[in-house]
Amino acid sequence: MSTKPLSRRTFVTGTTIAGLAAVAGRGVLASPAWAAGVAKVGETAPAFTAPATSGQNMGLADQRGKLVVLEWTNHECPYVRKHYESGNMQALQKEITAQGVVWLTLISSSPGTQGYVTAKQADELTLSRKASPTAVLLDPSGAVGKAYGATNTPHMYIIDKAGLLLYAGAIDDRPTTRRADVQGAHNYVRAAFEDIAAGRAVQTPVTRAYGCTVKYA
Amino acid sequence: MTLRGTLAVLASVIAVVAGPQPSSAAAEPPRVRVELVSDVGAIAPGQRFWVALHQRIERGWHTYWVNPGDSGEPPRIEWKLPAEFTVGEITWPFPERIRVGPAMTYGYSNEVVLPIPITAPPGLKPGTRIALRGQASWLVCEKICIPEEAPIALTLPVTATAPPVEPRGASMIAAARQRVPTPSPWPARFAATADDVTFTVNASGLTAERIAEIWFFPSRWGAIDLAASQRARVDTDAIRLDVARGPLREAVNAPIDGVLVVSERLEGAIAHHAFTVTAQPSSTGGSSATSPLLRAIALALAGGLVLNLMPCVLPVLSVKTLGLVQHSGQRRSVLRAHGLAYAAGVLVSFAIVAGALIALRAGGEQLGWGFQLQSPAFVILLAWLFFAVALGFSGAIVVSGRFAGAGHALAARSGYVGSFAAGALATVAATPCTAPFMGAAVGFAVTQPWPTALVVFEALGLGLAVPYLLLSFVPAWSRFLPKPGPWMERLKQFLAFPLYASSAWLVWVVSQQAGPHGVGAALAGLVLIAFAAWLHQALGGVRAIWRRSATWAVAALLPLLIVGLVALGPLGAPASAPEAAGGGAVGWEPFSPERLEALRASGKPVFVNFTAAWCVTCLVNERVALRSPAVAEALARKGVVALKADWTNRDAAIGRVLGSLGRSGVPLYVLYPPGSGAGAPPTLLPQILTEGAVIDALDKI
Repeated sequence: MSTKPLSRRTFVTGTTIAGLAAVAGRGVLASPAWAAGVAKVGETAPAFTAPATSGQNMGLADQRGKLVVLEWTNHECPYVRKHYESGNMQALQKEITAQGVVWLTLISSSPGTQGYVTAKQADELTLSRKASPTAVLLDPSGAVGKAYGATNTPHMYIIDKAGLLLYAGAIDDRPTTRRADVQGAHNYVRAAFEDIAAGRAVQTPVTRAYGCTVKYA
Repeated sequence: MTLRGTLAVLASVIAVVAGPQPSSAAAEPPRVRVELVSDVGAIAPGQRFWVALHQRIERGWHTYWVNPGDSGEPPRIEWKLPAEFTVGEITWPFPERIRVGPAMTYGYSNEVVLPIPITAPPGLKPGTRIALRGQASWLVCEKICIPEEAPIALTLPVTATAPPVEPRGASMIAAARQRVPTPSPWPARFAATADDVTFTVNASGLTAERIAEIWFFPSRWGAIDLAASQRARVDTDAIRLDVARGPLREAVNAPIDGVLVVSERLEGAIAHHAFTVTAQPSSTGGSSATSPLLRAIALALAGGLVLNLMPCVLPVLSVKTLGLVQHSGQRRSVLRAHGLAYAAGVLVSFAIVAGALIALRAGGEQLGWGFQLQSPAFVILLAWLFFAVALGFSGAIVVSGRFAGAGHALAARSGYVGSFAAGALATVAATPCTAPFMGAAVGFAVTQPWPTALVVFEALGLGLAVPYLLLSFVPAWSRFLPKPGPWMERLKQFLAFPLYASSAWLVWVVSQQAGPHGVGAALAGLVLIAFAAWLHQALGGVRAIWRRSATWAVAALLPLLIVGLVALGPLGAPASAPEAAGGGAVGWEPFSPERLEALRASGKPVFVNFTAAWCVTCLVNERVALRSPAVAEALARKGVVALKADWTNRDAAIGRVLGSLGRSGVPLYVLYPPGSGAGAPPTLLPQILTEGAVIDALDKI
């Protein structure tokens, strides 16, 4: 048997997922408080501010009048790696930001979990991966991620100039880690921008995001 | 390519096929170890068999179900099978819920066996060996997720004979298939509001106290909020499940597929029952909601018509029709009024029966048509009524003039009250009978709101009333009735016999419900009724007041019999309806350890159905497997004696037998092959039966 070890991490804690499931099964966590304010497509996107890697706080309110893309990421996640190592994500960032769209990459991994980075490490990643987001925002508390109901990395959102959420979901329709699957995949984000450019409603506004779970605290 | 280059390529190919590459030895070991197993030790040409991907998952990690939920990816297999082999889809055992932060995922931990059917081509040469190969890939997650893959392979010889069972693989696959959902026997629908989806699964007969949990796993992402709580309510007629709507708003415009897992407390353990469900949207169900009602009304009318021909009703109706012959000289309007009075009697009685049924069900009782028959006291009373009416027909009771008898007096009394009473009597007489078509109509009615239920019941009554009504309204038809004459007395006497037979049948029912004490009471009552009838005749010369008093004094002993029995106990115990959990085409004999022993000693094959009216699985099994004509046919073909051990009321003898078979509860299905003693060990069938499984087991003996 051969495996593709894509992570250096092994057991993080002794807490088993089965244990979590057992707790969930009793309904203790059945209705988490965060669920109340989760973003819904067609409604106003939740306001937020978070520190960018530059140290400056950035908020959604600052971007009024511009289209905004939110990209949740975790550089160690095999699904994120599929899109960065194939160059797919960088190509999309270039293409979209060239249209004057604000691209915010968010990292909601809590300290000590997979994908957590300092501002400096985040900038190094942007450089080494030749990525071109407008900014990378750090959300180690998970507050922004939970407000948007971000469950996966990558998890993509598009917000219109008036602050309405236009799209939430996957980057494309191939929920795999195989780099080769980028070819021929239907990219939902690109398709949404084509709809917006044509003055149409977004044809596929909600999809199931795929990837690794966001490593909330 | 140089020789060195060729060797290098070869070496890497071998390394991939052989497993861990030396270069990756330093890397972490896989979180999931896989193997391919099969349920046969050899392949028979043209036959279907099962293989399975067995995943052993590192503690704390998990792999995914076909719908992984908010995150994750199901395992995949790319097969490289020899020519003409066909492989089916993975069959998925129902998953666990695995919550990860705000997300809900569905998957497996520790270990999972994913069965896959493969069909071999017919042209295989016996003696050759077949290699089944594939590449399995899967995502395994703990806090982090790792895609893993590995080659899987299994080599099996081809056999010309019946393929041998591979014990380890077969038991793994059988256990996994027990957890694969079976089609739901209950229709399901859903209604969506802005925030919630409410599923209604028409599962009747579930006992709320025994249900530990109900969870719906949708097959696709989007329709419901996977991480939200699911609030289940178990009523007598349905399961209702409320859950928050999911992000994909348009998902509620189409049917929602998924797996409903009902977890039931059985004897200290939890048994999970998984069903595949397709819930239809209620919004488009508007038209289909009326058509079942129309269908139920049509069935009820047909059922009511056929009821006229049932042995319990036919005599009553016939005598009423004789009355019509007698009155044929009267004016049409009078005949019509009699017909209407009779129909009113039927409809009012049906309304009373239906009203009682609906009210009791609303009070939480689990009742169906003929619910009164679950009470042995009522059955005894009915047996007595039939007997008394039959005595009247036989001429043993002559009250006044030509027609007589307790109920018969009602049926034959002239005047409209008499016709009304005849209708009521026909209804009471009809209660122990079910006609074809009725079951579906009544089954539908009892799950509906009361006005709908009432409409269906009244349709049934109308069906019962229609033949007489028509005869009284269309004089042209009465012309086909023969002329009055002495033959009427003969016919009436003859018609007593179906009533005697009905009475005898009811006493048999009592024997099921209340045992020898009940039968004793019922028979003693019959003797008293006969005595009262004789007394009434014998005192023909004395004054009417004495004669009546004496008759009633004897008749008054009847209720005492019932009261005495209830006080003594045997009738007080809530006996279950004998057909509630068995029924169908198979003649199920009641189980007793002695009966089993006697049958075994005589070398007969025996099938024992350990069941209980309160056990959901038992009822589902009976519905999907045991009641099927094919199973009945197989039982008959093999000469198997079918015994039903009803554990509805705890029974120490049944408990001991269960214990000796290593079980503590029901359901349990045991097949004893022909022959006796240790040479013929019993086979325990799976707890979740299919028609095929029962027939397969029967075919093996």
